[in-house]
Amino acid sequence: MAVLVGILCPVTGTLLVTQRRVLQANLISHAVLPGLALSVAFGFDPALGGVVSGILGALLAERLQRSSKLNGEAVINTVLAGFLGLGVLLIPLLSLRLDLEALLFGDLLTVGWLDVGRVLVACLALAILLGTRYRELVYLGVDPEGAASAGLSVRGLRLALSAVTAVVIVSAMAAVGVILVIGLLCAPVLPGLHRVSSLRAAMVRAALVGLALSGGGFLLALPLNLPPGPLIGVACVVLLCPLAWKST
Amino acid sequence: MNFIQSVDRLSQLDGSILGEPVLRAEGIDVQYGDRVVLENVAMTLHSGTLTALVGANGAGKSTLLHVLQGQLRPRCGSVYCDGDPIEECRERVVLMPQRSRIDWSFPISVRDLVDLGSMNGQSLGCCDREAALQRVGLSVLAHRRLDSLSGGQQQRALLARSLVQPSRMLLLDEPCAAIDPPSRDQLLLLMRQLADAGHTLLVSSHDWGEALDSYDRVIVLDRSVLADGPPAEVRRSLKGLVNPGNHHCG
Repeated sequence: MAVLVGILCPVTGTLLVTQRRVLQANLISHAVLPGLALSVAFGFDPALGGVVSGILGALLAERLQRSSKLNGEAVINTVLAGFLGLGVLLIPLLSLRLDLEALLFGDLLTVGWLDVGRVLVACLALAILLGTRYRELVYLGVDPEGAASAGLSVRGLRLALSAVTAVVIVSAMAAVGVILVIGLLCAPVLPGLHRVSSLRAAMVRAALVGLALSGGGFLLALPLNLPPGPLIGVACVVLLCPLAWKST
Repeated sequence: MNFIQSVDRLSQLDGSILGEPVLRAEGIDVQYGDRVVLENVAMTLHSGTLTALVGANGAGKSTLLHVLQGQLRPRCGSVYCDGDPIEECRERVVLMPQRSRIDWSFPISVRDLVDLGSMNGQSLGCCDREAALQRVGLSVLAHRRLDSLSGGQQQRALLARSLVQPSRMLLLDEPCAAIDPPSRDQLLLLMRQLADAGHTLLVSSHDWGEALDSYDRVIVLDRSVLADGPPAEVRRSLKGLVNPGNHHCG
């Protein structure tokens, strides 16, 4: 599981960072909570509700940004807070017995085959997106206006990316939680991004770094008797510190 | 005093220098909320010509280019490319966006950027990738990352991407902005060569300086067309109306 998540999250994160959609991914990671709660309450698969809820949050934020002249970042953060609040409220309102801490921070030591299956589905979704839309995503990242001018469906591509992001986040939830997944989406991407000449190379590099972070964090957590998720989160920040030193 | 010199009149005055009409705009009105951005704009662009679209910030240059490319639907008016409504033939017109619209830090090589010009199964234009790179003088830098190039080289890489598209009608949104004078002159020379080879170029610019003399024709825009004609004629007709020095950003 650590290996799969360590590869899946950084590859998805490379897309998000280069498309400047990290803030939106953060919104999705929080917006999955109401869907999770409702799914548990009505007996559905929590992953399904989480994905739907995450996509709804992203669509609402995009709709608000498009139809008003409000600051985009402020809109996204407001929707994020609203969905997170709703998710937390639904737990007592629906009298649910949910381990909120496990949802937020995950636990690699307790994952089961169902969780591994969800990650494999997320890998498949990402592979389909990249296999069919790689060049469009490159065009959209480097020149959104040119992509629209060339007749690409910019909204369709962004919606597809949001959907895959929601699936990835929900699938990684069991391992690192919806909060810490952002670290694994972003941190492995940053160190080598300015050194490579293609999105593909950036993904490979990020996957290798993510694998080292995730696997290393997991292996370190066992002898130290610490939760792997938060340890991986801390490792993500430690990874970036040398870059800060280098730039000063 | 009538400052508007329509291109039709220009055509009558000196029909020998103008090619076939390629792009025609009629009565273009654009409004954002209560703000009128373009008002009754009309123009015809002829093949093999290099035309400058000059105006201050907020004059409506970028908006007009987006209308001419069919990306933005005007409130009133129509655009035709080779006689067909632009909505039916957007692929015939290429818009090269402003520098600020491009993510220069995106991990991509010059070669891969140029390849994006042949997206969506479009057939290649006058040049394949190598020919386009050679034409803009970037063959030796094809493997380099986009953000390792100078501003002028980056603009030429974008131009190469436009050249692999089947269109011969190019709209360039401030390609000379924020690049040094030698790079600007190089780019102007390249645009001149493209026009001489039969391409039709409409280039938006703030530049009221000597660079304007490189163009066949200048259209001055400030919501509507203030003047339209050869550079010297436009300068004469606008003398006293505006102070060119206020707008120069060479």
